[in-house]
Amino acid sequence: MPHATARADAARAVIFSPLEGAGRAELVEQRLTDAIVSGVLRDGERLPSEAELAKLLGVALVTAREALLALRHKGLVRTRRGRDGGSFVTSDRDTSARLLDQRLLAASRIALRDLSLHVAAIAGMAAEVAADRASDDDVQSLVDIDARADLATPGGARRAVGRFGLEVAAVSQSPRLVHEELRLQAETGALLWMCLREQEYRDRSREARLEVIDAIRRADGTSARRATVAHVTSAVEWLIDEKARIEAASVIDDAAPTRPHPSEGSRT
Amino acid sequence: MTRVTTPAATIAERIAATIDPVFAVIEDWRREVAALLAADDEPRAGRIDPVIADLVGGELERPGTLITGAGFVAAPGFLADAPWHLAWWLSGASPFRTDVLGTGLRRLDAVSDPDAEAFRDYTTLEWWRVPERTRRRHLTGPYVDYLCTDDYTVTITSPIVLDGEMAGLVGADVYVAKLEQALLPELRAADRTCTVVNASGRIVASTDLHRATGALLRAEGLADALAPLREREADGDPRAGEAQATTLPGGAEVVACGDTSLALVLE
Repeated sequence: MPHATARADAARAVIFSPLEGAGRAELVEQRLTDAIVSGVLRDGERLPSEAELAKLLGVALVTAREALLALRHKGLVRTRRGRDGGSFVTSDRDTSARLLDQRLLAASRIALRDLSLHVAAIAGMAAEVAADRASDDDVQSLVDIDARADLATPGGARRAVGRFGLEVAAVSQSPRLVHEELRLQAETGALLWMCLREQEYRDRSREARLEVIDAIRRADGTSARRATVAHVTSAVEWLIDEKARIEAASVIDDAAPTRPHPSEGSRT
Repeated sequence: MTRVTTPAATIAERIAATIDPVFAVIEDWRREVAALLAADDEPRAGRIDPVIADLVGGELERPGTLITGAGFVAAPGFLADAPWHLAWWLSGASPFRTDVLGTGLRRLDAVSDPDAEAFRDYTTLEWWRVPERTRRRHLTGPYVDYLCTDDYTVTITSPIVLDGEMAGLVGADVYVAKLEQALLPELRAADRTCTVVNASGRIVASTDLHRATGALLRAEGLADALAPLREREADGDPRAGEAQATTLPGGAEVVACGDTSLALVLE
């Protein structure tokens, strides 16, 4: 069924799709963590049971259990017993922001720039091909997605970026590009678009969107790709600056206890 | 040796005839589901779903079928126990779902709680919107169906109208790759380049193998030649796109393929 169907919004659908590769419990944990901290899974929302989760993700029951346990330890999930029991999302903005900061700190600059290349390769190619293949209806659907974007909140802006990227990939008519776009959004979206915490970047994301729509309307693949790649690159450059800011701040924090507080000295 | 050339109109008819069995199956489903709903004072998802599963299951598992996914989608509020409801099944094979390959049917996992964030109002989507407006069958695509079949797909939907009210629709998904496979032998009957496009000019299949399925066919005057087809789909007037051949400035012939909303372009 077409583009966005009743099953789920795509960013969510991919959360519960089968995983591949090693370290499966960590992958499950990372995927759910991303979904929670980015607000795709909402506070108070009930997660599938261990058994359902195992089935949906194609992992062993013990793997799903391990991942849920880790989420509980992080304070992202609370488990209630009884008839209306289950695992519920418990995210607040501070916890989410802290976890994302930790993830950013753990990522090397090399890894961030590599991420930038990977995402730009997929999204840029999708935009280039979309410019060649977009019908008038396709352009209209991109305009509609932009019109519905909520730029007032980081979550709203990120959902708009995700939906737009997905629709551009769909317009390229390539199932593989769509699939890869979805996977990248699920695995890296929360980290990549941290810059949308700032209103300035939310406004810029809209400008980038309008630029891409305009290029696609003119069937100008080169410009569509360039605008898409520039948008991804600016998000990663923000991450690299932010990482440096957090690192600098934590050095000061670490150093603080070893120095006497100025006001304490004067009170003796 | 000269090859016998099959006239454009004949090829267009054969293309329509390739797709007609899918239309016929959907029409059967539409009649049966309409009768089922009409006979029920208070239709409920719990009672209807098993019937739908039976109805579409046989066709989905029939060897050689073009259909990959099929089912019934209810109009919001029509069913007493499920305000938003999709009863849609997919056959096992999917390129990105190797885990379920060959395991038979799976049901589309739909979010039917309108308060959930994942909920999507399907009445805004083309496969619902157009047949709701025109009260006629509609062919959506080709498009990448990333939430249901996970592949490049055409979706055909047909509305069920009871007492003038839209009760829901039945429909089917067809992989474009399968459709292309079925259409190519018919296209090769001509000694010219034959391309099947949808009403937007998007390529479904072509004898020019370097012409990509999914790309837009660009030819001077093609958009105008396809305009009656687009209008017919938009307005639901079956006469609007009556199959007459148009010749483009470049010499290519454009012929509508029956009432499929597809067109044949011969160059």
